[in-house]
Amino acid sequence: MPTFSLRKVGKRYGDGPAAVHALREVDLDVAEGELLVLLGPSGSGKSTLLNILGGLDRGTSGDISFRMTSLTAMPDRELTLYRRRHVGFIFQFYNLIPSLTARENVELVNEIAQDPMPAAEALDLVGLGDRLDHFPAQLSGGEQQRVAVARAIAKRPAVLLCDEPTGALDVNTGIRVLEALVEVSTRFRSTTLLVTHNADVARLGDRVVRFLDGGIRQIEVNARRAAPADLVW
Amino acid sequence: MRINAIAVAMVLGCGLSIFVMAVGMRASLERTRIQYYSSERMADLAVSLVRAPEQVAVELAAAPGISAMEARIVGYALLDLPGIVEPASARLVSLPRKGRPTVNDLVLSRGRWPDPGLVDEVLVNEAFADALGLSMGSSLEATLHGRRQSLKIVGIANSPEFVFVSAPGELFPQPDRFAVVWMGREALARAYDLEGAFNEAIFRLTAGADPGQAKRFVDAIVQRSGSTGAYGRDRMPSDRFLVEELRQLATMAAFLPAFFLIIAAFLVNVALARIIATERSNIGLLKAFGYSDTAVAWHYAKNALLLGAIGAALGSGAGVWLGQLMASVYRDYYHFPRLDFDAPVWVFAAAWTAAFGSVGVGALAAVLNAARIAPASALAPPKPVAFSGTNGLAGALGRRLDAKSRIILRRIVRFPRRSATTVIGVALAIGLLVVARTFPAVMDRLLDVHFSQTNRQDVTLSFIDAREEAVLHTIESLPGVIYAEPVRIDNVILHHGSHNVEEALIGSWPSARLSRLMGASGDIVAPPAAGVALARALAAKLGVNAGDTIEIEQTRGSRLQMTVRVAAIIDPMVGSSAYMDMDAQARLMREPGQISGANVRLDPAAYAAFNRELKRTPALVGASFLNLAESAMRRSYAEGVGYMNLIYLSFAAIMAGGVAFSAARVTLAEQERDLATLRVLGFTRLEVSYVLVGELAALALFAVPAGCIIGTLLANWLMQLFETDMYSFPYVFNPQGYAFAIAFTLVCVAVAALVVRSSVDRLDMVGVLKARD
Repeated sequence: MPTFSLRKVGKRYGDGPAAVHALREVDLDVAEGELLVLLGPSGSGKSTLLNILGGLDRGTSGDISFRMTSLTAMPDRELTLYRRRHVGFIFQFYNLIPSLTARENVELVNEIAQDPMPAAEALDLVGLGDRLDHFPAQLSGGEQQRVAVARAIAKRPAVLLCDEPTGALDVNTGIRVLEALVEVSTRFRSTTLLVTHNADVARLGDRVVRFLDGGIRQIEVNARRAAPADLVW
Repeated sequence: MRINAIAVAMVLGCGLSIFVMAVGMRASLERTRIQYYSSERMADLAVSLVRAPEQVAVELAAAPGISAMEARIVGYALLDLPGIVEPASARLVSLPRKGRPTVNDLVLSRGRWPDPGLVDEVLVNEAFADALGLSMGSSLEATLHGRRQSLKIVGIANSPEFVFVSAPGELFPQPDRFAVVWMGREALARAYDLEGAFNEAIFRLTAGADPGQAKRFVDAIVQRSGSTGAYGRDRMPSDRFLVEELRQLATMAAFLPAFFLIIAAFLVNVALARIIATERSNIGLLKAFGYSDTAVAWHYAKNALLLGAIGAALGSGAGVWLGQLMASVYRDYYHFPRLDFDAPVWVFAAAWTAAFGSVGVGALAAVLNAARIAPASALAPPKPVAFSGTNGLAGALGRRLDAKSRIILRRIVRFPRRSATTVIGVALAIGLLVVARTFPAVMDRLLDVHFSQTNRQDVTLSFIDAREEAVLHTIESLPGVIYAEPVRIDNVILHHGSHNVEEALIGSWPSARLSRLMGASGDIVAPPAAGVALARALAAKLGVNAGDTIEIEQTRGSRLQMTVRVAAIIDPMVGSSAYMDMDAQARLMREPGQISGANVRLDPAAYAAFNRELKRTPALVGASFLNLAESAMRRSYAEGVGYMNLIYLSFAAIMAGGVAFSAARVTLAEQERDLATLRVLGFTRLEVSYVLVGELAALALFAVPAGCIIGTLLANWLMQLFETDMYSFPYVFNPQGYAFAIAFTLVCVAVAALVVRSSVDRLDMVGVLKARD
């Protein structure tokens, strides 16, 4: 059973000749535990797809199902529960709560999760076991992003959605974050979708979906997933 | 930030409208008073006499420092008004034989002056004529010094001497129960057996004359005429009330607006700091393009000054409107020929200056910060707000809370100035309402003490002269009288060192069932068996303590002077008299067994019959009906306080709502990204709303005890400020008032919070993932 099934999913802004098609008739199945890299230039539709899969936005046509349950017509309240129970998000700009320490940022999500792992354990997994009581303002960008990874994986989510997680980081820091990400997604068999415009990062995935102009141009299968340490950009 | 701007303007507007109203009203009242006193030649000095022959008047007129003098006859009378059950009373004042009074002249508003040759023609004061709908030609049946006489109204007038008119001994004006009647000198002389004599002289002093010296000259001349001593305007009842009113307006002008201005300054500070934080990168761009620091600072200062101008304009407009409302209420109490609210220009200038001062102080730190930002750092993304300093107390406390509550707590501790603004603003709103709700409770207590506990008689009768106590039997034989008790009141002058105070010495009967003396704590105070008890205000005027001795001087007859020990200081709510055991007092005055009036308990069924008989009783000079006095007092209090309560309520709502709106909007602006992140992470709208509204709710809860304390202190302070010779206002704890103040303010905060909360439903979850903080 695929984690996600997408059939002719489209997203259009506006009507008539001025309409902008952010997504056009996307068909895709994502298997459980798969690490899928969504690659493409800015405005190609990859983030739009990620948002729709994360229940933050809705398509204007087609159907999406998560574990055979349609997300297309799901009411807002259920979409919130869907995010809460199944989805872990990692953002480009970390989006940590500045008034909470690293540990508390993780605990924040744990409070609404079913069977989460202890915050200290999640932070230990991303190599921040010694920075538990630091506030975001006291952490570097890479450390903040690793807190975000810990926050996302602490609830052992079925799905990890990562939007340009290394976009604001330098190479070495980015690699550390990706290592943490790959390690935990493998350990928990989370279906992971990673949006990037960095072609080298694509080597991390089981498959690479190339986006152009709102549609899927090509899907490639990596015979062997690269380790983050092997990446260069 | 539009809501913040509206909040600043409204809070400023409230404060300044009180300022414009109170200072403008004070200036209008003072100017009207000065003009009226000057044009109608209000007396500077007066002296009451038992009887002085005409030649004394000639001597008085020639005394140094006196520019004008009127010798006149004054007295009191009972009035029998057609269609009115109870007898009313009147102050009778003689008019000169020829021409108009040279002192305390009248302004004739309708009709004509009485013909000096006709003894029955009179003028009455306008308030009385209006209250009863009397017109030219109406007649009054009066009992003058025991003789019944019919008087014909030929004119209606006002006098600077009677701007505030109330019957002696009454707490409040009852225009339909008390008249001022001006009539020919001869008619009054005949009624009072004062042909060729007078019993009161009033004076205007020459410019620059020393009033103290003038008094001494007058006293020397009238010492054999039964004088109670010359006195200035400070003892003329009408002027005393006016001066008291002016003092209270000044108090109101000083304290209330200041609170609003301070809160407005804080609101400007918080809002502008937020705008500058939001526009940080724009500031960097402007500076990079070559705009100077001053130009950037001026750009933001303009915003604040514009808010100041809007607040000042609102305050000026609302102040004038409130002032006009107040003037219309004042016209019922203070009878000037004309009283308009006409605030001088300097009042508005002061209001505008205060507005700019308030927003200027509020904006200063934020504007300087904008000027100081270096372009390079302004263009770089800001660092996350540091919360590491909040890990002390808040950290220890926070560990017991869930993460959402921790966010709330840390933000409160991290932004103490903003938190304090919200707490103080909401607390002040609660405080204002506590004050507004304490007044009626105090008034109720005062009315209850005065009309239900201290005075349980239905009527107090005052005799023309002291009578034997046996007269009580005659009174008890009047129709409807169930029970009568003696009254003994002597007007005396109390001396202690250099202090001399004229006051009533009230004889208290230890076994009295009707009129009893009550202290501030509400218990009945027995008159001292020996010596005199003084009201605290009176003791303060004389500078005496319990145990000291004072001189008491009779103001009539043989003008006895006696030394008496002060046995106790007491705190009556109404009046500031001296009190003695009634029998001891009568003996002291060498009139054993004599009384000056009676308190009467009536059978309501015989009310009309009792009054019919009363109107025919010649020996009476006044009859005070407690039910009428109470309803007059309640009515006028309800009118005056009714609209003041509405103002307090609206201002408290604006203060609480404005502060809450402002705080919630700033919190939302700062946390929008965090709140959207929480939504993305799977928090429900309700849970996210809790983070937004919880901060405000927590601050509002902090404000509750603070507001109650502020309200209690303010109420206590105001009660002391509003204390007069007539009343002392003890603070009364009114639990419902506190509950209302808290509930009303919290509802205002809740409404503001819920309006801002609706933004949670519109949070942009997609945008927040892309945008940098």
